[in-house]
Amino acid sequence: MELSKRSLAIFSLGWLTSLILVGCIAGYYYMKYQNLLQTLKEYESCVIHVNICIDYKEWNGTIVWYNNTIVPIGCDLLNATKKIAVVNCTYWPSYQSYFVDAINNVWKNDHEGKYWMWYQWTGEGWRYGQDAADDYILSPNETVMWRYEKPHYSPQG
Amino acid sequence: MNCRRAAMLAVMTALCVGLQLAPRPPNVEATSLICFLTGFLFGAVFGTILGALTMFINGFLSPWGFAGIIMPFQMAGMALIGFVGGVYRKLLGGNPTERAYTKILQLEVSFLAAFLTLIYDVLTNIGWAWPSNTPIIAALISGTWYTIIHVLSNAMLFGGAFFTLVRIIGNLLGENPWNYQKGA
Repeated sequence: MELSKRSLAIFSLGWLTSLILVGCIAGYYYMKYQNLLQTLKEYESCVIHVNICIDYKEWNGTIVWYNNTIVPIGCDLLNATKKIAVVNCTYWPSYQSYFVDAINNVWKNDHEGKYWMWYQWTGEGWRYGQDAADDYILSPNETVMWRYEKPHYSPQG
Repeated sequence: MNCRRAAMLAVMTALCVGLQLAPRPPNVEATSLICFLTGFLFGAVFGTILGALTMFINGFLSPWGFAGIIMPFQMAGMALIGFVGGVYRKLLGGNPTERAYTKILQLEVSFLAAFLTLIYDVLTNIGWAWPSNTPIIAALISGTWYTIIHVLSNAMLFGGAFFTLVRIIGNLLGENPWNYQKGA
């Protein structure tokens, strides 16, 4: 089928239109990206970056890292974890703190004695967290880990 | 302009304004199709006047409020659509209703609608960007998704309905659609 000059001219206009629209979409997302960078810059003094690891090794063998997670200054570990995962927890009035029952639908198992424990990286190795997750305030660039395990807790870690 | 033309213009304008004011998803409209169709059937001048008149009245009655400074840009955009309808009819020449051309013609109208809608959106974006000292590119980019909805919906509407409407109006008027411009 041979196309007339008219058809070709009109199809060229359509092609030009689609090019412009694609350019607009690219521009739209570029502007959004720039706005987000700007917002991030504005909040830079109010936030910290932390690295959070969730270790499901004893459940399905996987480990997931959430590096450079942005949280507000003064954020506790429980809230930081809630930013990256679905957390189910129970408040224990006697301890005045929360106990994490499940992370991402991996529940504690009283029968097998497996629970979610948290660790902090000391620079030389992992150490058990000394406080409840909601009592522990994260420091900038800190690295912490949640591990699903049978605890072998001792106060010294 | 004779009585017949004036009456036709009044009816088409009322139809367009009615379509403009009817509840509809944002930026999905059939007004440009009617203006283009009218320009195609009754001539470029007729289509131009219809487009401009429709957006003039719409500027006062729109549920979004008085159009203000954007109104001349809307009028220019819709007038252009009506005008191009007439020009397109001239470009087609004789009666191009042979079967082999139907799909190509539908595609042509669809692509033309996409281009004209983009021009209309650029014009209306200039209409609000220029008085508010907003860069025109930024205005265009911020309304990207509205433009895309407008362009795609018009491309589909024109491609799917234009030649069917030409045929229907031809049957209603009992004339050969390719001769209306001379008669009206």
